[in-house]
Amino acid sequence: MARSRKRHFGWLDAIVLAVAFGLIGYVVYRAQHHFHYRWDWRLIPGYFVRYDAEQGRWVLNLLSQGLLMTVRLAVWGSLLAGLIGGLMGLCRVSRSVFLRLLGRSYVELIRNMPPLVFIFIFYFFLSGQLLPALAVESSLADAAPATSGVLAWLFGPPELLPNFLSGLLCLALFEGAYVAEIVRAGIQAVPQGQWEGAAALGLHPQQTLANVILPQALRTVVPPLAGQFISLIKDSSLVSLISVQEMTFTGTELAVSSGRVFEVWLTVAALYFLLCFGLAGLFRRLESRLNRRGSHPH
Amino acid sequence: MLFTADTKRRRRAGARWRAAFDALAFSLLVLGLGGLLVAGADALHYNWQWYRVPQYLYRIEGGEFHAGPLLQGLGVTLELSALSLLLALVFGLTAALLRRSSSWAGHAVARIYVEIVRNTPMLVQLYLVYFVLAPILGLDRFAAAVLALALFEGAYAAEIFRAGIEAVPRGQWEAANALGLSRSAVYRRVILPQAVRVVLPPLTGLGVSLIKHSALVSVIAVADLTTEGRNLIADTFMTFELWFTVAALYLALTTSLSLLVGWLERRVAVGGAGRG
Repeated sequence: MARSRKRHFGWLDAIVLAVAFGLIGYVVYRAQHHFHYRWDWRLIPGYFVRYDAEQGRWVLNLLSQGLLMTVRLAVWGSLLAGLIGGLMGLCRVSRSVFLRLLGRSYVELIRNMPPLVFIFIFYFFLSGQLLPALAVESSLADAAPATSGVLAWLFGPPELLPNFLSGLLCLALFEGAYVAEIVRAGIQAVPQGQWEGAAALGLHPQQTLANVILPQALRTVVPPLAGQFISLIKDSSLVSLISVQEMTFTGTELAVSSGRVFEVWLTVAALYFLLCFGLAGLFRRLESRLNRRGSHPH
Repeated sequence: MLFTADTKRRRRAGARWRAAFDALAFSLLVLGLGGLLVAGADALHYNWQWYRVPQYLYRIEGGEFHAGPLLQGLGVTLELSALSLLLALVFGLTAALLRRSSSWAGHAVARIYVEIVRNTPMLVQLYLVYFVLAPILGLDRFAAAVLALALFEGAYAAEIFRAGIEAVPRGQWEAANALGLSRSAVYRRVILPQAVRVVLPPLTGLGVSLIKHSALVSVIAVADLTTEGRNLIADTFMTFELWFTVAALYLALTTSLSLLVGWLERRVAVGGAGRG
């Protein structure tokens, strides 16, 4: 088993390479000769930035607007999901049966339902009732131009704000269930002796939680939370189905309007890949640095 | 502090009362949320028509049972999930074995596959398979859905298999090598039979997540449970009733599988402790 992985060329390498290149070659061959697809990558850069003749400057085009929207959803969504998930995770380890029931049913309900079905149900409920109650649009219309400029940078174009908010809430409520499980596992991973020791010192349960348990739980919770952040970026593509104009949505639009289906979808997939893979690598490096520092604390 | 038996008993009784009170409060909360939903629907002048739902589940004509669109959709969901699960196991096992092989090319291919799948959204993968790969290879939408789901879950299955193989103690490898077994015989006779025990519970979990992800194929109009639900809603405008029914069907399916996972985990754990 422990044969060293030397860089020599074995029979298995030959087979694997032959199969891999054979498959790729077959797909490319079929695309050229059976499907008669004409590849044309020249239009793609124009979907990122375009020159606006009226304003006389370069402006962001659909793809980069979609990318920005995805990033906005990821940032705000993870903050909100962290809040919901943190509270629900605390509920799940609470001593009160009421809070435990509340946390349990929230988590089980969401984790056992397809994300798509949850998003559709919640969207109908949300668009019908919750957002009119919040009256976002009217309060937005009253905002000063400077404020609305900041708001546009933070939350996207104002005319799309109600739409963005419903997508954001769906996503946060959905991911919150997964965050809650991470938080619960983190708290339960702290040894029982810590609770007992704190109780012996005369600390109140709330003080114990805040000053003893949570600081220790934080260390176990951070790596899976980073993974959940990446999951959230991936799941944010789902809200394109309730017409939040993030990257998958703009990809669909562009693929239909330009007819460059293959190029657009490959580009969108590559963008998601760069975003998620880059973040995963970054988190891994941060984690190993933290661990190195953590192993010699004094 | 010393507890007498009396204070202990009083404490336990108090805890029981508190639990009962909490359960009551929770049911009140659920009722309140339900009431809020109904009140909201009333405000929209929503016309509840629950009595129309059963006919979309099943019909009994002349003593014969006919599955309605929703149950047919459930059947398609199950078929789709089962086929994709089988294919995902093949992809996953291949990727896991390649990753553990001494071949650098196999290692690279498996790594690229897993990283691409894990770092792009399932929806985008589905679009890639359906809009790019399917027309090139001439696949129909059902085959495209199966392929996309299997490719997606296969990458996760690969990690499960890898963990399962690595969980087999080193001594088993060494003993098998000492007996002079060939590398493939070591895998077939010694390692994989032991890895299966470790791998079975997480694989059932994979099945649950596959059923949930299979709802996504409704965006390419494969006639699964979600698609049937969406079509019926477009026809009848019974948005809430039908979505709740669809969600309940998924919930029943996934929770029963989750219970199965729990049971399997307990069984495997007991068996492992007894024999180990």
